[in-house]
Amino acid sequence: MKHSSILQRTGIWLLLLALCLTLSGCFSIAVPGQSGMTPPTEADTDPVDTDPVGTEPVETDPSSPDFVLTELPVYTGRAYEVLNNNIPVFAPEELTVEGYEFYSPLDALGRCGTVIASVGRETMPAEGEDRGNISSVKPTGWVQASYDSMGGQPLYNRAHLIGWQLTAENANERNLVTGTRYLNVQGMLPFENMIADYVKETGNHVAYRVTPIFEGDNLVCSGVQMEAWSVEDDGEGVCFNVYCFNVQPGIIINYATGASSDGGEIPVDPDAETNADGEVIRDYVLNIGRMRFHYPNCSSVGQMSDKNKQEYTGSREDLIDQGYQPCGSCNP
Amino acid sequence: MRLIVTLDDYGGMLFNRRRQSRDRVLTEDILRTVGEGRLVVSPYTAPLFPSCTALTVAEDPLAVAGKGDFCFLEERSPRGQMHLFSTVVIYRWNRHYPADVFFDADLTEFSLIEAEELEGFSHKIITKEVYQRL
Repeated sequence: MKHSSILQRTGIWLLLLALCLTLSGCFSIAVPGQSGMTPPTEADTDPVDTDPVGTEPVETDPSSPDFVLTELPVYTGRAYEVLNNNIPVFAPEELTVEGYEFYSPLDALGRCGTVIASVGRETMPAEGEDRGNISSVKPTGWVQASYDSMGGQPLYNRAHLIGWQLTAENANERNLVTGTRYLNVQGMLPFENMIADYVKETGNHVAYRVTPIFEGDNLVCSGVQMEAWSVEDDGEGVCFNVYCFNVQPGIIINYATGASSDGGEIPVDPDAETNADGEVIRDYVLNIGRMRFHYPNCSSVGQMSDKNKQEYTGSREDLIDQGYQPCGSCNP
Repeated sequence: MRLIVTLDDYGGMLFNRRRQSRDRVLTEDILRTVGEGRLVVSPYTAPLFPSCTALTVAEDPLAVAGKGDFCFLEERSPRGQMHLFSTVVIYRWNRHYPADVFFDADLTEFSLIEAEELEGFSHKIITKEVYQRL
């Protein structure tokens, strides 16, 4: 962790934010209008910079500097939803070409708060550095369980708020929350990958903030807000503001305690084709040797031998009835 | 005309009008693949190839490219225009990224004739697949 004046300023602000959240007991996300922070200056004054493709009107909402997440998106089957037209909100002093990291202190309930970093090559793991053991950390709501519908895999991961590949933080209790495998793999990881590749390729920095959203006194967060903005190129390379759901399809989670049970509903695309039983029809790839089913684009499909591989169009329920288990990686 | 695209594990191409990823090894391989031919790209893609002298930049690369030219398409799916292509080169990142533009074109009239793995600069393995019209 690097210390700098920006870190100190950010730290003071985050401490105030944590205090406000603790006192208010709600999930309101403090952003520029409340904190004195402002969005990236260039995005505010030159919206063309937020449209590197240049083929469509920029969606920037003029009111975005005052964007506040006051109502959580509803999970409808997508791992994340876009917030504020994908425009993040950072203070000018947070957009720095000097790498830094800040992790909020735990609140009175022991929960993580906002974490923020300027991710650069200097904050990332050194070449050959191995990820450390994080099993000593027990985030709030850590009530582990495993389910047949998940192929017997554990429901929860110790989910890094800032991924290890970005800042090489291991057993930092201020950076680990109780997160479902779905949140970790389908929600957060794709965004972390995007940042990591960009930084490795360009040597530039990405302002990156992750905010876990706890409703009331819940011990498990409902989701995380992720914001990122590439600094040196004014957001041309990386720019997003999303909310990732801390859910696991098919599992009911008690967010107050972390307890869970089987049988949660799995939202589906309302336009999807269904069979006579109302079950969604879609394409899968079967591993008839291991009795697993995958989405066609799952990375495991490429590793499957031809004799075990079989294409299938039908419902998930039919496959499970036939004895197939969903892949633990793509979570079909 | 020959098409080049880059895809993630779920067929994603673009997110929030930005490419999902990049890798200098991949761009070098595209130039090797194009060889003496002509590479047609959009203004958004052009900065990936600062040293390429045979680059043609057009708002709509598919409207400009001729027979034998290569089109590296990053910003939209070529769905409905696959009849234009004799060859399709797909680079797979073997990673998962956010996406709101997907490659949803039909490859049933093409056959995979070549596949190789490239060790990337920021990617462990990039898979290159070459499909040819049947």
